[in-house]
Amino acid sequence: MTKARTNASASPAVGRNMVINGAMNVAQRSASVTGLGAASGYFTLDRWYIAEGDASAGRFTMSQTADGPNGISANCLKLDCTTADTSIAAGETLILRQRFEGQNLQRIGKGVAGAKQITVSFYVKANAAFTFGVELFDEDNARQITKLFATTTDWVRHELTFAADEDDGSSPFADDNANSLILAFWLHGGATYTGGTLNTATFANNTNANRAAGIDSFFSSTDNNFFITGVQMEVGPVATEFEQEDISTTLGKCQRYYYKTGPLVNNDTFCLGFNASTTVAVGVTDFPVTMRAEPTALEQNGTPAHYKIAHASTVTTCSAGPSFYTATVGSGTATFTVSSGLTAGQGIEIRSLNSTAFLAWSAEL
Amino acid sequence: MSYSVLNTDGSEPIYISSDNKRTCIGIDSVLQEWLRANEDTLPSDIQAQVDAGTLTIADAD
Repeated sequence: MTKARTNASASPAVGRNMVINGAMNVAQRSASVTGLGAASGYFTLDRWYIAEGDASAGRFTMSQTADGPNGISANCLKLDCTTADTSIAAGETLILRQRFEGQNLQRIGKGVAGAKQITVSFYVKANAAFTFGVELFDEDNARQITKLFATTTDWVRHELTFAADEDDGSSPFADDNANSLILAFWLHGGATYTGGTLNTATFANNTNANRAAGIDSFFSSTDNNFFITGVQMEVGPVATEFEQEDISTTLGKCQRYYYKTGPLVNNDTFCLGFNASTTVAVGVTDFPVTMRAEPTALEQNGTPAHYKIAHASTVTTCSAGPSFYTATVGSGTATFTVSSGLTAGQGIEIRSLNSTAFLAWSAEL
Repeated sequence: MSYSVLNTDGSEPIYISSDNKRTCIGIDSVLQEWLRANEDTLPSDIQAQVDAGTLTIADAD
């Protein structure tokens, strides 16, 4: 007799948190970066992206800080305003956000009959009382919903449940590796995004003016700072206890999107390869986990002399920085350039000069 | 920070950031964000790639 298979729980005991690095424990790029505010990007903690709209005059430092709420995480993400901006242009934003692959969101069943609620919880504090917003933005269908939360000077856990969104019954998240959903913390916004009425009860087709109405501005004073950790997004109407995760699991999840070698010291090996000519060598880096997609960029420290090519019994210092050549989801190939002295076809080893040298491959959403 | 063309020797052009810390191909999301933000004032070598159709500025998410 064939027995019908039942679906696995949509809210399992382990793996229920769809947020990656919600405990703010992994910061492959850097633990702290100053002077942010002019451009968008990933700067410190893995998976956490700073989105700037029209450039604000506001500037801030973003850091991984060892000041998390006891028993939840030793670490938190801190934003510290260093230049205020009280003349807010319409298109300005400061958004802390994380993007999600559609294939990791199928448990929500969004956009079709039977769609489930989503609950977002997080620990937050600031230097004073502020009202900020949490938005879920459905990238596949341009639908969104935002809820406000208030900060105090002490850690407070907020638990926000967002209505299920069946939409028209035919608009699910795409079941693929592309961006389908953004979890966005709105900390600053101009009239383009705050000029309407906050859309907070149910998902609706996007109207920019309704995305962040009612929020305060993080850039109102250089006194301002904002701390957040223990971020969790799960299916259903209940915020369960923040799911703890061992560091190797979190790091592996992060490396699906960004992999940085090191830290290495003098003469440690980055990768092996061969000399393509008398001035250019090619080195191949195997990734520790399969990346989300073929990486499209290679980052390094910008100092060519920190990279060396060991060939035969000679070590030659690079004259140009490592450069992206090609990549698959399993490995990345970079070129390393010297002034002269390589032997084409010879096997080589790419080495670091010091601990600041690194190679980093990005397949971020 | 801006970008320029590093080389066009391979199967597709490679671009490099002005701080020399980042190289990428044209579909890279960070490069694309910079392209969108500076679409009207692109450096000549980047504009040439756009005009030649070897670099496409994609719509924002």
